Amino acid sequence: MIFRNCDRDHRLTDPAGTPGYAPACMSLAIHGLVKRFGPVTALAGLELEVPEAHVFGFLGSNGAGKTTTMRISLGVLRADSGEIRWRGADHRTLPRQTWGYLPEERGLYPKMTVLDQLVFFAGLQGVPADVAAREARSWLARFRVPEFADRRAEELSKGNQQKVQFLAAVMHDPEVLLMDEPFTGLDPVNIVLLREAILDLRDRGKTIVLSTHQMETVEAMCESVAIVDHGRTVVAGTLRDVKRSTGRRMVLLSARGDHRLEWLAGIPGARLLRPGIERAEIELEPDVEPDAVLAAALAAGARVTHFEVADPSLEQVFIEHVGHPADIDPDAEASAGTPTSGRGRRAAGRPAASDTEAVA
Amino acid sequence: MSAMPSRDAGYLANSWLVAKREFGERVRGRLFFVSTALLAVLAVAVALTPVLVKMIDRGTTTTIAVSSADDELTLTSIRILDQFLNPSDLKGQPPPFTFVPAGTGDDVAQGVLDLRYAGALLAERQANGQVQFQLLIGESLPAERVTQINIGILAIAIFDFVAQNPLGEGFQVPTFDSAQVGASGGGAAAAVAPSEYAGRRIVGVVFVVLIFITLVIYGMWVAAGVVAEKTSRVMELLISAASPAELVTGKVIGIGLAGFVQYVAILLPALATLLLQDRIAIALLGSSSGLDVSLGALSPGLLVAYGSFWVLGFVLYALIYAAAGSLVSRAEDLQVLALPLSLIAIIGYIQAVMALTGGIGPLVRFASYVPFWSPFVMLTRLTVGRVEPWELALSFGLLIATIPIVAVIAIRVYSAGVLLYGQRPGARQIVGAIIRPPA
Repeated sequence: MIFRNCDRDHRLTDPAGTPGYAPACMSLAIHGLVKRFGPVTALAGLELEVPEAHVFGFLGSNGAGKTTTMRISLGVLRADSGEIRWRGADHRTLPRQTWGYLPEERGLYPKMTVLDQLVFFAGLQGVPADVAAREARSWLARFRVPEFADRRAEELSKGNQQKVQFLAAVMHDPEVLLMDEPFTGLDPVNIVLLREAILDLRDRGKTIVLSTHQMETVEAMCESVAIVDHGRTVVAGTLRDVKRSTGRRMVLLSARGDHRLEWLAGIPGARLLRPGIERAEIELEPDVEPDAVLAAALAAGARVTHFEVADPSLEQVFIEHVGHPADIDPDAEASAGTPTSGRGRRAAGRPAASDTEAVA
Repeated sequence: MSAMPSRDAGYLANSWLVAKREFGERVRGRLFFVSTALLAVLAVAVALTPVLVKMIDRGTTTTIAVSSADDELTLTSIRILDQFLNPSDLKGQPPPFTFVPAGTGDDVAQGVLDLRYAGALLAERQANGQVQFQLLIGESLPAERVTQINIGILAIAIFDFVAQNPLGEGFQVPTFDSAQVGASGGGAAAAVAPSEYAGRRIVGVVFVVLIFITLVIYGMWVAAGVVAEKTSRVMELLISAASPAELVTGKVIGIGLAGFVQYVAILLPALATLLLQDRIAIALLGSSSGLDVSLGALSPGLLVAYGSFWVLGFVLYALIYAAAGSLVSRAEDLQVLALPLSLIAIIGYIQAVMALTGGIGPLVRFASYVPFWSPFVMLTRLTVGRVEPWELALSFGLLIATIPIVAVIAIRVYSAGVLLYGQRPGARQIVGAIIRPPA
């Protein structure tokens, strides 16, 4: 396990700091979760530990077991074995209001007004109608759509319905918010609104588990992540630790007048991932030091104007661990007769601009 | 967006919330008003059937064969029947009855089967001088004309007594028997009903038709409601906010209440029609012709039994329909399920119709205890037959005991079914979900 240290606010601090496991910080703990549907094994001993008041990226391709894990957490499905604990308590003993859930497959009652729906869903979670109505209007105003209150759901665009669905998931002020692909179908403006709302919830102490294929969103929002594949956790930890989990590094290099970088062929384990006139991206095997690239460039007479060591992008890490991009369903591809490209497709994705060790 | 302390929403509170939503959505819909109006018209039409039949029947002549070993008795009987049952002033209308002399009993029975006669009256003088009658009732002989023939037979007996005046014997009501003669030649005998039999049968028909139609329709409402929630994908939000038991209970209560409101709206005009039937008949036909007997069948006890069977029957069928609805994802698929689902009720309905027309046999008696059929069959028995208290208690007891068992099964199937999209679970999966619920 990569999580090692938490501060007083349950935020991860330097992962290279004091070694040791800090269970008090792992408020949502999933251990050995197994679930089979007939001959299909959806979860094969899944392990997750989510620190409290974190935005946690729950990554995996279609069929990896994300939705099943969420449904088991909510009590909609029963695990064959394993346990889920929130703040040490078995999830089956928790009140339903502990959880907020935004499913991937979501909808609303088409003929009901937005306000009625929000009051109804909040009511199911025990919120009195007058309080729920007040909260609903407040949230709608925050999402800049106060006029939606009296409109029927069928009159709204898909993106706006999605905002209402998000509100239905958070109206009862849950401690843990499970969100399955919350940004799908939203325009950029609404993505920003939703991101702000999620981060605001995090700041209020809510723990948010975010399942998405949008790696850039995860890199922008999540403090910690887990990559799951075929019902198992492949890697988990802080964003930085997960990004470094492959051992690979990236070098972003600008050399005036030289974008072919032919001298790179002399460095075993270095590969020009993405050539560019302004900036080239070079991927390094774990045993190759970035200094060797700089030295080789200078030795070849290149006029280096920018040299930056970066972590690989989360998408590259995902592909490295899982063998294909997150939005590809390997089973569907296999059944369609398309060979999966596995590690050979790792060219996708750009290195993250964050977590860099830059040399000008 | 301040933090809101949530109280723990309980089973009843959530079920009631779901019920309120379901009730409101249905009662406010235009479809509700349209279907209520249509069903009310249908119910009134069913209640008016006897009057309508009588109106159609008014211009027809019923041919009755009269047969006896004693030719004089035959001719006397024809004369008396003709005198009593055919008005002297026909005002250009054909007479209601034509009585024709016939040969032996076997011939007339065949004549009734061949539809040459609507019925046949067999008269036989006993050793003590008393006349015994048997009426063979053909398919086309209306119950109301059977009643009229009974009156005629009584007149024959009185006149015969006066004519014979046997010593030492006072007047005796003639023994009377009847036999239903069907096209199949079955000739299954059934005791002649008391005077209000026809009225009871009308009430029975109205009740059975209404309970069948409404249980199937409201059951489909429940199933369609579940499918709509799956189709719109709101189910995913719902299932995380409320338990399957809460959702199913709320749906059954909410739609049940909506159904009850519609039911009252349908039943009241139908009952009013039944109660006013004699006046309607007088207005349309000039006489009530005994149609007021239907009033006697509407006892408070029967109405309570009817209400109880309707509520319990609805709960039972609604649970089954909710489970069935959870197994499909599209409204089109629900149509495929509609017939097999209706078959359960149709079997009960057929038994009830058998009880109304063919008497209470062992099969009907057995069906009246079976929970899925008792709302139809026992109700019919209560209306037209004789039911021992223990039979009624057994019927209600089994029905009430079955509901929680079906509820547990339905909720388990529902729990598994609502999460399935694009695939219809097989029997093995359904049984698996019942034995080991998904959550």
